[in-house]
Amino acid sequence: MGTQRQIIHVDMDAFYASVEERDDPSLRGKPLIVGGDRRRGVVLAASYAVRPFGVRSAMPMRRAMELAPNAVIVPPRPGAYAEASATVFDIFARYTPLIEPLSLDEAFMDVTASVELFGSASEMARQIRAAILSEVHLPASAGIAKNKLIAKIASDSAKPNGQLEIPAEDSERFLAPLPIGRLFGVGPKLETRLRALGIQTLGDLTRRSPESVEVLLGEGGRELHARARGEDDRPVQPDRAAKSIGAEDTFARDLRGVEALHPHLHAQALRVARRLRRAGLSARVVALKVKSADFRTLTRRRTLPEATDDGQVIFRVVTELLAALAPTYAVRLVGVQLAGLEHTAQQLSIFEAKNEKSRRLNQTLDEIAFRFGVAAISTADLGTPRAGWDESQDEARRRMGAAQTDVTPPTGSKKPR
Amino acid sequence: MELKIAVPELSKALQRVQGIVEKKTTMPILANVAIETSGKKAISVSATNLEIGLTGTYPAEVKSEGAITLSGKALYDIVRSLPGDTLSLTQEANHWVSLQCGKVSYRIVGMPAENFPSLPRFDEVEFFKIDPAVFRTMIEKTLYSVSTDETRYNLTGVYCEPIDKNSGLRMVSTDGHRLSVIETKMAKAPVMKKGVIVPRKGVSELRRLLEDSKGEAKLGFVENSAVFETDGLTLTMQLLEGQFPDYNQVIPSNSSKKAVLDRKLLLDALKRTSLLSPDKAQGVRLELSNGALALSANNPDLGEAREEIEAEYQGEALKIGFNFRYLIDVLTVLSEDKVELHLNDPLSPGVIEGVGTPGYRAIIMPMRL
Repeated sequence: MGTQRQIIHVDMDAFYASVEERDDPSLRGKPLIVGGDRRRGVVLAASYAVRPFGVRSAMPMRRAMELAPNAVIVPPRPGAYAEASATVFDIFARYTPLIEPLSLDEAFMDVTASVELFGSASEMARQIRAAILSEVHLPASAGIAKNKLIAKIASDSAKPNGQLEIPAEDSERFLAPLPIGRLFGVGPKLETRLRALGIQTLGDLTRRSPESVEVLLGEGGRELHARARGEDDRPVQPDRAAKSIGAEDTFARDLRGVEALHPHLHAQALRVARRLRRAGLSARVVALKVKSADFRTLTRRRTLPEATDDGQVIFRVVTELLAALAPTYAVRLVGVQLAGLEHTAQQLSIFEAKNEKSRRLNQTLDEIAFRFGVAAISTADLGTPRAGWDESQDEARRRMGAAQTDVTPPTGSKKPR
Repeated sequence: MELKIAVPELSKALQRVQGIVEKKTTMPILANVAIETSGKKAISVSATNLEIGLTGTYPAEVKSEGAITLSGKALYDIVRSLPGDTLSLTQEANHWVSLQCGKVSYRIVGMPAENFPSLPRFDEVEFFKIDPAVFRTMIEKTLYSVSTDETRYNLTGVYCEPIDKNSGLRMVSTDGHRLSVIETKMAKAPVMKKGVIVPRKGVSELRRLLEDSKGEAKLGFVENSAVFETDGLTLTMQLLEGQFPDYNQVIPSNSSKKAVLDRKLLLDALKRTSLLSPDKAQGVRLELSNGALALSANNPDLGEAREEIEAEYQGEALKIGFNFRYLIDVLTVLSEDKVELHLNDPLSPGVIEGVGTPGYRAIIMPMRL
C-alpha cells in the first residue's frame, strides 16, 4: 500500500445550458433545454430550472417538450462549448498533469503529488472551482475522495455548484445510505432486481457477505459488492487513446434508397478522415451503421489490408458495405465508424504509390479547411455543409481522447437532392 | 511390423519432419508421423499438414512389414535421447508400439496408418533438374521479403515463373513495402505455362532440405502442387491460389542517381546508426552527396547517431528515409563486395543490386521523413 490517493472529480453543472445562460442573460433562471430537432433530436443539456419537470439529458426532445411545454429551447453551439471546455482543462492542468477527461465537461484528477504544492485536495478543488467561475464564468461541482468511484458519487451529491470531500475513513459511512441505483454498473434492470431482493441501498448490499451476493448475482456479484464498499483501485489515466472515431447523422426525415444515403456517408467519411489525419492516425477497420425508421440498428464492418486516413477510400468501403446491406426500408440514421486505429505509417507502400497523390491532395484540402473552414471546399455531391455544425466539437473531443461518436447533429442534415 | 534402424538415421528422419508436424491441430493425426516399411531394406517416414507433405526413405532392417503413425514430437524426443546405436521397433496389438534400445524400452500408443491422410502422389510430374546451391541462393534472396500478413494471402508465398521461352526460372516475393526478384538461366528450364505461388512455409522447408542436399535435386509443378525431390526425399507443397500482383509495374526502369558502396561498410554503418532509430518506425535517413553517403537516425527518447561512409557517386544531393531492417535484410543476403544503390527521389522506390552479379534486384519503398 502506498500513501492514500487524493482524487478530485470535477463536473460542470448543466454545462451546455450554463454556457447558453452565460452568453444570453435573458435566459438565466429560465427552464432551458439545449437540443436539436424538436421532433427527432435528443436533449443535449437541461438547465436546473427545467429539471424539476423531469427533463433529463439524452431524453428525446419530443418527450421533453411534453414534460416542459414552456421550456426555452436553444440549438447547441458546439464551438462555444469546446472553447469553454479547453479553458477549463487548462485550469485543471495548473494543478496536476494526471487528468483523465470523461467528456467535454467532466474529468478526474489525481492530485496526490500536488498536495505539498497547493495544500489539501479539498483546497485545490475550491481553487479550481473559483478559477472556473472567474475565468470561464461557469459553475462546477467537485467530489474529493480516495478513488475515482467515490469522488464521482461525491461530486454528484455536491451538485449544483458545490463540493464534497469524503475522507477515506468515512467512505463506507457515506456510501451505505445511498440508493443502489447510484452505483456505477447498476442500470435500471439490475436495480429492479436488487430492490426485489430487498437491497435498496449500498449498505443493504454490503451487509451481506460477498459470497452470498455472488450466489445471488453470479460472477459480477463479488465485484459489485467491492464497489459498494467503495473499493476502486483504477488509476487516473491521462491521454486515454481513442479506440474508435465515428460520425453519424440522424436525418430530418427518413430516407429511402441507397442513393439518398450516399451524400451523407460521403460527408461523414471525409469528416472522420480529417479527424484521423489531424490525430496522425490511420484506421484499419471501417464500419457502417444504419438505423431504420423503426429503430433497428445494423452495422457492417470490414478490415482493410492496409490502414487508411483517406476519406475517399473510407467512402468507397462504406458504399460497398451499404450495397451489400441494400436496405429497402426507411432509414433514420447512418454513421461511419473507424476502429483499429494506428499511427499513420511513414513507410510507403509499394503497390499503392498512387496513394501518395491522395495524400498530397488530402494535405492540401486539410490546409484549406484549416484556414477557411470546412465549408470552403468539399466534393461535388455534398453541396453546402450543414449550417450550425462545425468540427470544433469533434476537435475538442479528439483532443480530449474521448472521441467516440458524434452527438446527433443539431438541426438535422441537409435534404437529399 | 517389426524392424531395426540406426538411431541417427531415424533421428535425422524425424528432425526433418518436425517443421511440418502440426503442434496445434484439430486433426490429432496430423501431429503424428507415418512410418511404413518399404521392402525389406527401407522404411519411409512421412508427415503432412495437408498443405505440405514430406516423405523420406531411410535404410532399415525390416523383419515384418507394416505401417503405423506415432506422435512426431514424442518419438523425436525419445529417439534423440537414446544411448545406443540401434533401435528395434515392434508393433503390438491396438496400435501400440514397443521401442527397444539396449536396456531402454518404451511402449507408446499410435494411431492406425489407414487414418493418415495420404500424401498426393503424382506420377506424371515433369521434373527439371535444379542445382541445389543455385536454388538455395534463389530462395535465400527472396524468402525474407515474403509477406507474413495472412490478410494479404497472395503475397504470403514466393512467386515462381519461367523466364522467356522457358530458358530459366524467376522468383519474386513482396510484403507490400519491399520486393525482391531473382532470375537464373538454366540449361534445362522448368516447363511451366504460367507462374505459381509457393507458400512461405513450403519455401522455408525447401531451404532446410537444400541445406544438406548432396546429390541431385529436381523440381516440378503439377496440377495445384509443387513437388521437390532430393536424396530420397519428396516434398509436396500445395500452391497458393490467387493472383500475384503485377510486380513489373513497380520495378523502376531507370534511376537518376546511382551510387556504388562497399557492402560490408554500409551494413556495419547501418547496424550502428540504427541503434538510435525510433523504436517503432525503425527509420534511418540517408543523405547522398558527392563521394559520400551519410546515415543518421534519431530516437526522441534517446538521442541521435550519424555516420558517413565513402560512396562512388557524383551528382545531385538527395535525402531519403528507409526502414533500416529492410536495408540490412538485403545487404545480408547479398554476398558481393560492392553494391549499387539506385535512387530517384525521396518518395520513389530504391533499388539495390550486387555489383557484378546481375539477375537479382531488391526494391525498397522509402519512408516519409
